[in-house]
Amino acid sequence: MLRIRNLSTSIDGKPILRGLNLDVHAGEVHAIMGPNGSGKSTFAQVLAGRDIYKIVADELSFDGRDVLGMAPEIRAREGIFLAFQYPVEIPGVSNLYFLRAAVNAVRGHRGLPELDAVDFMSHAREQAKSLGIDDVMLKRSLNEGFSGGEKKRNEILQLKLLEPRLAILDESDSSLHIDALRVVADGINAMRSPDRAIIVVTHYQRLLNYVVPDHVHVLLGGRIVRSGGKDLARELEDKGYGWLEQEHERSECKPDRAQPPREVAS
Amino acid sequence: MQARQGAATKRGRIVSTMVAEQNVYATQFSSIREWLPGSHLPWVEQLRQKGMAEFLALGFPSTKLENWKYTNVAPIRRITFEPAIDHSLSFIPELDSFPRPRLVFINGRFVPALSEVDAEFNCHLRTLGEALGDPKRLSIIEKHLGRYTNLSDHAFAAWNTAFFTDGAYLEIPRGLAVEHPIHLVFIAAGESDPWACYPRNLIVAGEDSQITFVETFIGSNNTVYLTNTVTEIAAGPNAVIDYYKIEVESCQSFHVAAINAHLDRDASLTSHSISFGGSLVRNDLNVSLDSEGAYCTLNGLFAVDGQRLADNHTRIDHLCPHASSRELYKGVLAGNAEGVFNGAIVVHENAQKTNAVQHSKNLLLSKQAQINTKPQLEIRNNDVRCFHGATIGQMDTDGIFYLKSRGIDEREAKKILVRGFAAEIIAGVRIPTVRERLEHQLDSWLKRVLEAS
Repeated sequence: MLRIRNLSTSIDGKPILRGLNLDVHAGEVHAIMGPNGSGKSTFAQVLAGRDIYKIVADELSFDGRDVLGMAPEIRAREGIFLAFQYPVEIPGVSNLYFLRAAVNAVRGHRGLPELDAVDFMSHAREQAKSLGIDDVMLKRSLNEGFSGGEKKRNEILQLKLLEPRLAILDESDSSLHIDALRVVADGINAMRSPDRAIIVVTHYQRLLNYVVPDHVHVLLGGRIVRSGGKDLARELEDKGYGWLEQEHERSECKPDRAQPPREVAS
Repeated sequence: MQARQGAATKRGRIVSTMVAEQNVYATQFSSIREWLPGSHLPWVEQLRQKGMAEFLALGFPSTKLENWKYTNVAPIRRITFEPAIDHSLSFIPELDSFPRPRLVFINGRFVPALSEVDAEFNCHLRTLGEALGDPKRLSIIEKHLGRYTNLSDHAFAAWNTAFFTDGAYLEIPRGLAVEHPIHLVFIAAGESDPWACYPRNLIVAGEDSQITFVETFIGSNNTVYLTNTVTEIAAGPNAVIDYYKIEVESCQSFHVAAINAHLDRDASLTSHSISFGGSLVRNDLNVSLDSEGAYCTLNGLFAVDGQRLADNHTRIDHLCPHASSRELYKGVLAGNAEGVFNGAIVVHENAQKTNAVQHSKNLLLSKQAQINTKPQLEIRNNDVRCFHGATIGQMDTDGIFYLKSRGIDEREAKKILVRGFAAEIIAGVRIPTVRERLEHQLDSWLKRVLEAS
């Protein structure tokens, strides 16, 4: 479904991703893990079409079609969805209005009739209920004044309503207490299906106890340095990222590469 | 040096044409004055003459005056506007969204056929011209008309005082709460432009009374005219006034408005001033909190594009202790448009415990659009709580990306963000029909602006 070959990105001349390769097939759940600054969020944003990066790749295709030339809204309509790490607050625009505009944009593209306000309301209410989102939250301004957990649940609501083919969840577990984490994880698990792929981007292994991945990849210094099964996540939880970082640096220690300044523990 | 000489010559020429231009209006005045309402009343006659004299003395304001620094009225000065005489019905907008009671004026003159006033209506809702012919109302009108407008300070208001044709006279007796909003619809229509309309409204709200009224200014497209309007509001003790001014004039037109309100003890005024049309729009809204506990909320929204200019000047005078004011003006600017917000809050010596908050927020949709925003706090005692702030921002690119990532296209994403920005003002409009019309108005403005870019 998703095929990435030698993807590199930079911003203001500063490289972030450096030759990333990945294959994701329908029905799979992939976890991308890595320490802060490893390029996880950039990877997620690039897939969704954020245009602030300079992007070079041999291939970035979705169902065999080139993604790089697609505008973000086209990617979304084609079935790529990003749950944001930091959902944007939009004052004055009701959550419900936004959700309906998004759903109808995607439905229109798929040749389905638009949902009117009444039909949409009952549909949205039903999906929202399982995430503990009430009518008040549906009617509030989009993300404005939402708590961290409310924002994350609202992203999962969008996932459920938009029914994408590829869902990228960027740190959907951060700033969640354990009950909310279960709600979010249940929401994600409910979306697992043979014709849908999910990429879970996370710093911690915690979410992966609930959303068990088929593949785990470790992103370090802008490339995937190790891939494995779900046990790799547990190994990282026990040992941290340090051992991989050292290995990675050894392999990177080539004369043409300037080492970034290292912080010295005092 | 050469440039300076050129400027001097130019200035000399401007001075002489300016005198000539005002003389044109002096001539107009002497030929029409006897047909204007109230011409049989010596005090009205005197008021008009005073207005004319002040207009001639002041001349058109130049950008050297602090209050007109960013608003060059040369386009108005250059044109000779004839007083509107024909009120032909060539352009009548749809009036269903202005439910009764409503008074309709075309080019500043009352049109009974389009107006709807219930006979049993329990307050004095009529036209100013009519009221000036009613001996029972005269003493009250004389007490208020022209009293709240400083003629020596505002040339356009002085001009209106000389030329005013008609407008609404609303007198709300003590203790009466008027249930339905009163719609005052001012339509500019005509073929032989340029012409000028001079509406004049007087609202006298008695003690404990309550009233909502909406002034809507509408013009047919591509006609050149000037609306020079003045509204005076006197709010008695504990009166509650909800005032809306909605300006959707023709894009070629000029609109200059002065609204002067005086609030007695515990009276409250909520004003929504919303501007969508006009090539040059200037609103002066002055509120005087004359007595303790008076309260005003001034909300404003202006949307300008192309080469247009919208200027909102407000002034709130806190004259007594324990009075409060809230103010929020929002501007959306596109193309080469210019916007001005100047909000003065003057807290006088005696006005201890004043509470005043003022915000000016502006959204620029293009690199060329300009906003000059100037909050002015003048505080003459030290026992007050005052706050003001101004922001100028561009379209939030994170917001646009967020919406696009949900399948919404760029144009729609921009519309959603601007609607969200304007919602803070529009959502505060408490009359559903008016609110819907404004939402619709904003949408068609956005459509025009975003399709042009």
